[in-house]
Amino acid sequence: MIALDGVAIGVPGRTLVRGIHARIAAGEFLAVLGPNGVGKTTLLRAMCGIRPVLEGTIAVDGRALRSLSVAARARAIAFVTADDAMIESLRVRDVVAIGRYPHHPWWEWNPNPQDHEAVERALRAVQMTREAERLFTTLSSGERQRIWIAMGLAQATPVILLDEPTSHLDVRVAHEILALLRDLARDGRTVVCVLHDLNDAAAYADRLLLLGCERMLACDVPDRVLVPQLIEEAYGVGVLRVDTPQGPRVFTAVRGE
Amino acid sequence: MVSFRFALIGLLVLLAFFASLLAGGSSIAPSAILAALLHPHSSNDVATIVWQLRLPRVAIAAVVGAALATGGALLQGMLRNPLVDPYLTGVSAGAAAAIALAILAGVAAPLLPALGFIAGLLTAVIVAALARRGGGVDANRLILAGISISALFSAIVVFAIARSDSPDAAQSILAWLAGSMAGRGWSDLLFAMPYVLIGAGLAALAAPALDALRVGDIRARTVGVDVDRAQWLILAATSLLAAASVALAGMIGFIGLIVPHVARRLVGSRARLLIPASAMCGAALCALADAVARSIIAPSELPIGVLLAFIGVPAFLYLYLHQEQTA
Repeated sequence: MIALDGVAIGVPGRTLVRGIHARIAAGEFLAVLGPNGVGKTTLLRAMCGIRPVLEGTIAVDGRALRSLSVAARARAIAFVTADDAMIESLRVRDVVAIGRYPHHPWWEWNPNPQDHEAVERALRAVQMTREAERLFTTLSSGERQRIWIAMGLAQATPVILLDEPTSHLDVRVAHEILALLRDLARDGRTVVCVLHDLNDAAAYADRLLLLGCERMLACDVPDRVLVPQLIEEAYGVGVLRVDTPQGPRVFTAVRGE
Repeated sequence: MVSFRFALIGLLVLLAFFASLLAGGSSIAPSAILAALLHPHSSNDVATIVWQLRLPRVAIAAVVGAALATGGALLQGMLRNPLVDPYLTGVSAGAAAAIALAILAGVAAPLLPALGFIAGLLTAVIVAALARRGGGVDANRLILAGISISALFSAIVVFAIARSDSPDAAQSILAWLAGSMAGRGWSDLLFAMPYVLIGAGLAALAAPALDALRVGDIRARTVGVDVDRAQWLILAATSLLAAASVALAGMIGFIGLIVPHVARRLVGSRARLLIPASAMCGAALCALADAVARSIIAPSELPIGVLLAFIGVPAFLYLYLHQEQTA
């Protein structure tokens, strides 16, 4: 479980969002939504402890994040970012194995059977087992995205945070990844994921956290967050809501001259 | 497969060491070399040549090669840049400038290695201070600072050569710049070994984080790497290893740049394999290059730095461009 109490986040010289309160339980999938630049990535970075919060506290399983050592944090929370990296001559399997770093003391250089098992499981989960021996540089951007997710999975943490994991992915793979994240939550992990597609978020996440200009607008089930008034306040664009048997869906209402 | 490749590299190291022991002014049969190695306290001439002249030189070449290649592999990994070498820390340029000025001022030759070592480390501290950002090291700043400071000190060396009235002084400066292990012995190795060992220890501490650093600072932090600490460890390790090498053999280029690429092709990029493989390949290449440098125009010696540039540049271009095409 990860808890945010009165959290404010920002970049040097500017506060992005204040007053974030949320409790994300084990087994829950929370999608973080909001317009570009509002602070979604900054929030995720604060939640994994690599960026300080300006106010408030973040706790994981009842322990304040800032009281944990770097290694203890990495054993509790994985963070998957879509940032690209130039990696010369590392195989896909080697990249995924980097996720095992926090499970080793500094003097232990060689992987153990648990590492091999975790890497294989992670590769299977993102359907990249067949590509395990390929050089990372030869992968397409969508395949790389899946490998970053696999690296996070190999970290075997109770909490996993993902920053736009479906960017660069085609529709089918994007849905496979979202289904995988939902399954991870069903298996007891806490999954927090920044998404841009509101309907994908409504279809897969248990709750949505909507960020607006300098404040959290809502953190609730999709039915109560995908409300035209809230979406218009967050994004500055009108939407049309359609209730389907699978839940609410929204469509941007484009107005011509 | 990896074990087999390491065994092969180990065999190559032994062969390179033995070939290097064979090279020298007097021709000694391989069996006599072996006998001398097995009987270190023998008082015959061969034992004296092997134990007092050739073995220290092979050991120095091995240490220099291993140190430069390890530093290169560490720095290339940390900066995610395959085109950097340990001299980016400014160590060689600082040492060269100090030694050039010292020769010009008439400082006694035996003091030069220690002077070069200290000046090299001080320059590394300046470069590191310029590269500092927040609590860690900024890769772009490090490259910029390393290149700028090196350019500045290279200009000082050129100035010293131009201002030198004595051809002997200019010759001495050039000899340092070209790199050589001529005249070095056990005492030189003993002087440098503590720093090499500390550098190797720091490298061992930082190496497990190297793979994570290669996928970016953010990802490294999220898997539990203390990125700032790892960066300073790598910079300190590389500076110490490079400074000890410069004190032992002057400027020997290309080993720190090329050998990690060779090692990568042999054992892959994972740090736990790459670092030891780089050290072993560096030791073998430097010992072999020293043997060739001693033999090719005997009884004179070709500066090893020059020889390595002749071999190293085409080899590096082939390896790097071939790798680009196959990637």
